Amino acid sequence: MPESTMPPLLEFEGVSFAYPDGEPGLSACSLTISEGSRNALIGANGAGKTTLFLHANGLFRPQAGTVRYAGRPIEYSRAGLRRLRSDVGIVFQNPDQQLFSASVFEDVSFGPLNLGLDPESARERVEAALDAVRMSEFSGRLAHNLSFGQRKRICIAGVLAMRPRLLILDEPMAGLDHAMQKDLLSVLDDMHARGITLFLATHDIDFAYRWADRIHLMTAGRCAAAFDAEDLAENAGALESAGLPLPDVVGLYRRLVTDGVAAPGRVPRCVEEVLDLLTQRSIQ
Amino acid sequence: MLIDQCAYSNRWRAVTPAAKGIFALAGFVSAFAAGTPAAALCIALLMSATTIFGAGIPLARFVRAACVPFGFFLLGSVSLACSVEYHGGDFSIVWLPNGPAPVARVVARSCAALASLLFFALTTPMIDQIALFRRLKIPETLIEIMVLCYRMLFVFSATLRDVHTAQDARLGYATPKLALRSMGSMAAGLTVQIWRRAQALHLGAMSRNGEGPFRFLAPVFINSRRDVGFAIAAGALVLSLSCL
Repeated sequence: MPESTMPPLLEFEGVSFAYPDGEPGLSACSLTISEGSRNALIGANGAGKTTLFLHANGLFRPQAGTVRYAGRPIEYSRAGLRRLRSDVGIVFQNPDQQLFSASVFEDVSFGPLNLGLDPESARERVEAALDAVRMSEFSGRLAHNLSFGQRKRICIAGVLAMRPRLLILDEPMAGLDHAMQKDLLSVLDDMHARGITLFLATHDIDFAYRWADRIHLMTAGRCAAAFDAEDLAENAGALESAGLPLPDVVGLYRRLVTDGVAAPGRVPRCVEEVLDLLTQRSIQ
Repeated sequence: MLIDQCAYSNRWRAVTPAAKGIFALAGFVSAFAAGTPAAALCIALLMSATTIFGAGIPLARFVRAACVPFGFFLLGSVSLACSVEYHGGDFSIVWLPNGPAPVARVVARSCAALASLLFFALTTPMIDQIALFRRLKIPETLIEIMVLCYRMLFVFSATLRDVHTAQDARLGYATPKLALRSMGSMAAGLTVQIWRRAQALHLGAMSRNGEGPFRFLAPVFINSRRDVGFAIAAGALVLSLSCL
């Protein structure tokens, strides 16, 4: 989904922020998240990814610059923040940061009840959210008896139950094994299919290239570059300055083209697409 | 987490906490109302038997859970029965002037009260207890503290275990001196972690619009009325024992 076809949902314009101890967080950071898109934020540890996310949810207030949501600057009044947080959900990297209640069902109900819903509507939302993350059978369980990946899914359910338009996930794949990552990816795909805009932080350039519509590179508190994922191969310089390599699949495809095994054209996004290319070639 | 394991795996897990609360309260009131130590011991035996045979709590687990509080009031009763006095360079033991009867009454009543509390704690998970306290309109602040303490208990026990393992792997507990040092640094480290986690939880709550009191949906129990009816009848039986 190319950037230009979608209206902006979240915009950062020259946002700067430093922590009270002087540690820099964001430095004149500008980026745009378009409605209905899948976005990956890539950057080294300490690049400012989490600080940026905390600004998106109104948990931090910029010391300079503006954060806009749905075309309007964020209002930092109680009512304004309430509206923003009803629309922008955030899933933290560590699930223990987000789970208050020991009971899974109770914890997921925390957000919907804060929205002022009556118990019956809240109950329906909790059940739907647990179903969406495929954790319905765990609703009566205790959070501390679940695995790390399961706790992470409960956190996602807790935010989903608030029916956000934009879902932010801080390194959702960290600490998950391959099978859990695959499951989580399919949960994210379902959410995207339902029209939720997704914005996640990752260190994995291969995953970002395969999954995202748009990639944002973060270095030293600023968004150094942003481009459509399908144009990534043309942005090798920006990746290199952020200390990131090209995805393996791009290197493989280039080698296949050089050796004459594959024809030049659209760069594949994943190994499956390379295999498709090779199959087509062998049929020809 | 012995108590937690029992609370989640007993036969009466699905019984409404209100029914279990009524029965435990009846046992507790009977403990104080019991006219004789024998009546109080009968109540203690009945509550313990209900916990072990009714709710299916294994005897060994029941004894383990009872050991610490039982030891505590056994020690208390010794200090109640006698005291040590120092006169002119000599120590002497002074016994209670009224004889051992008051001590026997206190110990028997304490046993009954302990058995009643253990019945409730071992059969009712903390989340059900909290739901019950909410229905009883216990102040919200107290409930929030209970919710957070209970959740953090598990988070910190996991952190404590991780830090201890990391220290042990690098010979942190090889000698008593090293163990003392390791424990000190663990305590200091945990203090910082507590502060960080408190801050993190605050951000987590704010991100989900949680600015006021913590609100959660209460679990639903089927057959609540029937269970409460049984509990009232059983509670009346226990109360009648106190008149023996």
